[in-house]
Amino acid sequence: MTILIVDDSRIMRNIIKNTLTGHARYANCQYLEAPDGREAQRLIQSQAIDLLLLDWNMPMLNGLELVKRLRADAVQAKLPIIMITSESAKYSVIEAVKAGVNDYLIKPVSEKLLMEKLERLGL
Amino acid sequence: MNINHIEPFIEATVGVFRELFGLEPEYLNPYLVQKDDRNEWDISGIIGIGGDSKGVVVVSLSGQLAAALTAKLVGGPVQLDDPDIVDAVGEIVNIIAGNAKKGLEQYRLEISLPTIVKGPDHRIAWQQNVPIIGIPFKIPMGRFHLSIGLENIITG
Repeated sequence: MTILIVDDSRIMRNIIKNTLTGHARYANCQYLEAPDGREAQRLIQSQAIDLLLLDWNMPMLNGLELVKRLRADAVQAKLPIIMITSESAKYSVIEAVKAGVNDYLIKPVSEKLLMEKLERLGL
Repeated sequence: MNINHIEPFIEATVGVFRELFGLEPEYLNPYLVQKDDRNEWDISGIIGIGGDSKGVVVVSLSGQLAAALTAKLVGGPVQLDDPDIVDAVGEIVNIIAGNAKKGLEQYRLEISLPTIVKGPDHRIAWQQNVPIIGIPFKIPMGRFHLSIGLENIITG
């Protein structure tokens, strides 16, 4: 499985990656990283991604806009996306779900919740 | 001063330090920041607020505390000039501002990307027409400071 972690914080990307690799199920996945939505879109267009873990507030292209672009693309319409963001208001969650995210996790990342959401997605 | 509207920021700060660092910060009484006061801190992370209000959320720390917190996040020693410190302080203020929005859902607020100001006694260009509320925090590793200004929300 190839997992793309998109966050403008390198530390946050490492925390998410280390959280996942600490579980046998995800230890041998291939991990890709991007610091913004534009680089993420380039990676998604150039190789197969099985899971996108996506921050919202980022430079160049934010996470919400990337979700809208991906869902408008027939090839990526079903790519599993979990938004991982500090945006905690209900209206933000609703906006992200309407844009097409499969699930939503509020930072700081809870390992337990992340695992539950991955299990719910069958990953 | 509308204390109810400061509470989400205090709760978010306590929550972030609990979840990210396993620490329980104590906080002192909020006060009105005098904008001409010298800043006694070495690094500040700043988030601009837009939408239904205009304002700012700032977390200020000593260099030593910023390095110590960054070391906890990266799992190893961090020097005072390590670029990871900028990343960590930016993420801390981003999560505090984003988490505080949950307690202010009656307003549609937008948060900016974080910017960082560094240097001993650095100055922050506060907005002239927005009062700033300061909240000192204390953790076993040192002290830090939260500053909040939200036009027509925290102060009229």
